[in-house]
Amino acid sequence: MSAAAEVMAPELGFFCVGLNHETSPIEVRDAVVLSDEEVGRAIRALRERAGASEALVISTCNRTEVYARGVELPNPPAFVAALLHEIKGFDLTGTGKSYLYTYREPESIRHLFRVACGLDSQVLGEPQITGQVKDSLSLAAKLGGSGPVIERLLDAALRCAKRARTETGIGRGPVSSAYAAVNLAGKVLGSLADKQVLLIGAGEMAGLAACHFMEAGVGQFMIANRSRERAEKLGSSMKARVISLEAIPVALPGADIVVSATSSTEPVVVEPMVRNAMKIRKNRPLLFLDLAVPRDIDPQVARLQNVFVHDLDALGGLVAQSLAQRRAEIPKVESIIESEMARFLRWHRSLAVKPTVTAFRSHFDRIAREELDRHRGRFRPEDHAALEALVHGIVQKLLHRPTTRLTRTDGEGDGIARIDAVRDLFGIEEEGPGADRDAR
Amino acid sequence: MQPLIPLLTTTLPVLYALSVAAYGRAYADEASSGGRWGPVALRVAVLLHVLYLSARGVTEGHLPLASAYDFLSATALSLAAVYIYLEFRQGIRTTGIFVLPLVFLMQVISSAYGSTVPVEQPPLFPFWFELHTMTAVLGYGAFFVSAIYGILFLLLYREIKANRLSFFFRRMPPLETLGRMNVSAASAGLVLLGLAILMGIGWARLAHVALTKDPKTWLTIGAWLLLGFAVLAYHRLGWRGPRAVYASLAGFTTLLLSRVVTDLFVRSFHTWR
Repeated sequence: MSAAAEVMAPELGFFCVGLNHETSPIEVRDAVVLSDEEVGRAIRALRERAGASEALVISTCNRTEVYARGVELPNPPAFVAALLHEIKGFDLTGTGKSYLYTYREPESIRHLFRVACGLDSQVLGEPQITGQVKDSLSLAAKLGGSGPVIERLLDAALRCAKRARTETGIGRGPVSSAYAAVNLAGKVLGSLADKQVLLIGAGEMAGLAACHFMEAGVGQFMIANRSRERAEKLGSSMKARVISLEAIPVALPGADIVVSATSSTEPVVVEPMVRNAMKIRKNRPLLFLDLAVPRDIDPQVARLQNVFVHDLDALGGLVAQSLAQRRAEIPKVESIIESEMARFLRWHRSLAVKPTVTAFRSHFDRIAREELDRHRGRFRPEDHAALEALVHGIVQKLLHRPTTRLTRTDGEGDGIARIDAVRDLFGIEEEGPGADRDAR
Repeated sequence: MQPLIPLLTTTLPVLYALSVAAYGRAYADEASSGGRWGPVALRVAVLLHVLYLSARGVTEGHLPLASAYDFLSATALSLAAVYIYLEFRQGIRTTGIFVLPLVFLMQVISSAYGSTVPVEQPPLFPFWFELHTMTAVLGYGAFFVSAIYGILFLLLYREIKANRLSFFFRRMPPLETLGRMNVSAASAGLVLLGLAILMGIGWARLAHVALTKDPKTWLTIGAWLLLGFAVLAYHRLGWRGPRAVYASLAGFTTLLLSRVVTDLFVRSFHTWR
């Protein structure tokens, strides 16, 4: 690479320091989760004290990561650890363990893209992280942390995440038992909008399943529980009808899906109860999702026609299957990441061309202006405007092809040689290369 | 139109084969909800199939349903048309791979072995006769589709009951939808075949053809009653799931047997040459 190219090639200087579920336990992650206001403090410190030209912080329950560019720090992890200590009062170095990881470009870019796509998430391919990355960018923009390069980089990361979701199966299939239950219900019963769910038990698991069923469009719930107070508390958000455990045989014919998650040691639903219910409901399909250990649904129930019983083992199998499928999609997502990274880096390298193009055009404009001024006296004043338009037109036409070719260059190989040649041929080195290297 | 016929005779199996390949590929690719090329190829094939049968009708001067091979071709068209209708109604493309190979097979046999059979004695009142034949063929197509969805229903039902949630489970529409497709197609077949039977009886009276000793007529009426019972049981008696499907499959099997028995073992005006 020539000296001129070295001067012009833009330094991205983009690094990432952070911790996540793989490098730190939940107590540590909880201790360093940053609120919006604390993110603002971190961004200000990175810009003012570390001299970062742009900065971004992603802080969720599973990760806290600091991204910055244009900063020359001898020891970025030490700076970030000190910053987190200052903001959160938690000393990451005090435990003697190293929770922080550091990535420098291009790994830092690759890491950001992997985070946005859900490849770095605790639940592989989970979709929430894309929204969280988007929110982090909005926050950084509001706090003045992001600039043209980070914004472009985040655009690329979010585009990458969208492609990963639509072009691969990284987000497909249920990855939790409660969600698998909803998935299975949809597979048996089709649309869940007009279905009735009977929850047996009002604990955490039943609540989580109810939440997923509500999201899937179920509007009618019944809750059968030993403690009426607890059932009413859970049912308040879903306008559920609360019944006693003894009323289950009466409620069963009206239910399409039964989610059971009690701590009972004996089956709560037995075969005669269901047989009778099936007669009343004219053999319409009935789905039991047994989320309890030991099981709440008598295994004999599964023998009845049009009755489907699935326990935690079955749902766990569905989850394992989905995760295996998602893992198989990782290479496809990585290939998308590589192509989007290359596209971003190409864009960034092209920034080096802009000062040359500007200088090149100014050079010709200046010569044209000088020549016009020198010969202006030889023409009538009423012809000056037409003459200027003529000269301007000629210059534009002459510059069109070289300018287009220069703009298309990616700042590497032949592109750099072309830039060098232009600067050398027209003597425009002295016009301040790199002055606007970060302009969009 | 005559020069078109040999060209279309060869083109149709190729187009159906392309549809099968496209639907197969879409089924195998879990990222796809059914692909785009399969439905395009299938629609083109169906349009050309209509053109083919029309061209033959114009050239031969009667409905091209004079032989068993013609019947296969017309049933293939009817099956494809009923499938396209269901696909459009339900928005589900992953089941095409289970229907279209049959369409392809029927058309390949028809294209390979079929030949123009001269009609020695054109039927009296041809309009009613041809309308009877066309509605019967459409009815057969609907029952074929119903039977395929019935079998798919049973396979998926068994998988879900046994907690074997395989690739097939992931690619199939909900069980409830398969059941509905089975019954919808059977209901359509019931109406069409019912019309065909009525028109056939009406035509036989006009043409003074004795039906009482024709086994095909009785077997078809028997199958129709069985299928009618299956649909009625679904709607009125609350027969759901495997029981309803087995009933409709029994009706379909009887219908199919009536065709085979008539063609292989009996000589009657219903027998194909």
